[in-house]
Amino acid sequence: MEASKIDISELHWLMDMVQNIDVGLVVIDRQYRISVWNSFMQNHSGRTAKSVQGRTLFEIFPEVPVEWFRHKVDSVFLLKSKAFTTWEQRPYLYSFKSYRPITGTEEFMYQNVTLNLSGRPAARSITSVSFFTM
Amino acid sequence: MIVVSGDIQPDAKARVTRLGALAFIRKPVIKEEVFEVLSRYGIVRDEGISATTVTEIQTPIDALDCYKEMANIAMGQAADLLARVLGVFVVLPVPNVNLLDGGELQMAISQIAEKESVSAVSQGFVGGGIAGEALLLFHDSDFEQIAHLLHYEGEVDDAMERELIMEVANILIGACVKGLTEQLDVSFSQGHPVILGQHLDVANLVGKESRSWSKALAIEISYSIENFDIRFDLLLLITEDSLAAIDRKLAYMWE
Repeated sequence: MEASKIDISELHWLMDMVQNIDVGLVVIDRQYRISVWNSFMQNHSGRTAKSVQGRTLFEIFPEVPVEWFRHKVDSVFLLKSKAFTTWEQRPYLYSFKSYRPITGTEEFMYQNVTLNLSGRPAARSITSVSFFTM
Repeated sequence: MIVVSGDIQPDAKARVTRLGALAFIRKPVIKEEVFEVLSRYGIVRDEGISATTVTEIQTPIDALDCYKEMANIAMGQAADLLARVLGVFVVLPVPNVNLLDGGELQMAISQIAEKESVSAVSQGFVGGGIAGEALLLFHDSDFEQIAHLLHYEGEVDDAMERELIMEVANILIGACVKGLTEQLDVSFSQGHPVILGQHLDVANLVGKESRSWSKALAIEISYSIENFDIRFDLLLLITEDSLAAIDRKLAYMWE
């Protein structure tokens, strides 16, 4: 599709869906700086997209093990393939409350994470999509 | 008599007017509307509206009263939506608002159940530094009537009950959470509703081992539907660490 053919309202509609899907969506660059942060991430972290823009993932989430995460991200850039982590292996990447903080039996939200390389070759970025269980 | 109410169902205004009320002011109140009504009945004069007549009443406001007012308005909006969707009149008492610990919450739930078996559904919500869940309780003896209310036909078995539970949960929790987000001017992510159990003995609904929290703000609303023998009990439970964010939002909204 030519860029000029993209309908702006269509684009807004797509963005709206990305915003409202019940899945966390984070886009980071090679330096782990955050560029996209959807509503799910805003609502669960209590931090607005504006307040995290351009800051590194490690600043925002000190609980993310730096070496471990770097290794994952670097291999995605190198191999140009996806990387996955599951809640059985590591219960969560981001420390969020369980969706049911009162009657739930889990202390935190278990998370599966997919790291996905996307964007133009010149400006590659990593999309960290977290699918959450329970 | 001038009625000020958070009950904004279409029929609520008509009913109080029939009972002889001069005017109906809906909550949340708009200053201009209050002055318009008050001056219409000569209680204040137009030219009298100045800093001298409008004295800000500076009394220390109890935080619980603020939550109660927030809940009252939000639940009024929810009842309005419910009345429109179902085409009924919703009997809406003022919500009960308390800070409860786990044991007290369990006690409140046991009181709601009145020794009957219940079915329960829970749905979490989170956003803007506020986290909580909506817990909706159904009395098992009500399902025949609920099926009738929602125009479901056929035998009311367990599968049908699950269908009814989810249908009512979607409408009621959806409406309440919407009311709350409007009151607080936040947006929430919502998890999937989870049926905690059917025909439950409520004694263990709030598991002892699961309590990683000490206190929760509990907003308790008992909806009944006129001309039906149905009661839905909704508990909006908000974590203690959300209260700071709520206080900030309310202070901003009500300044």
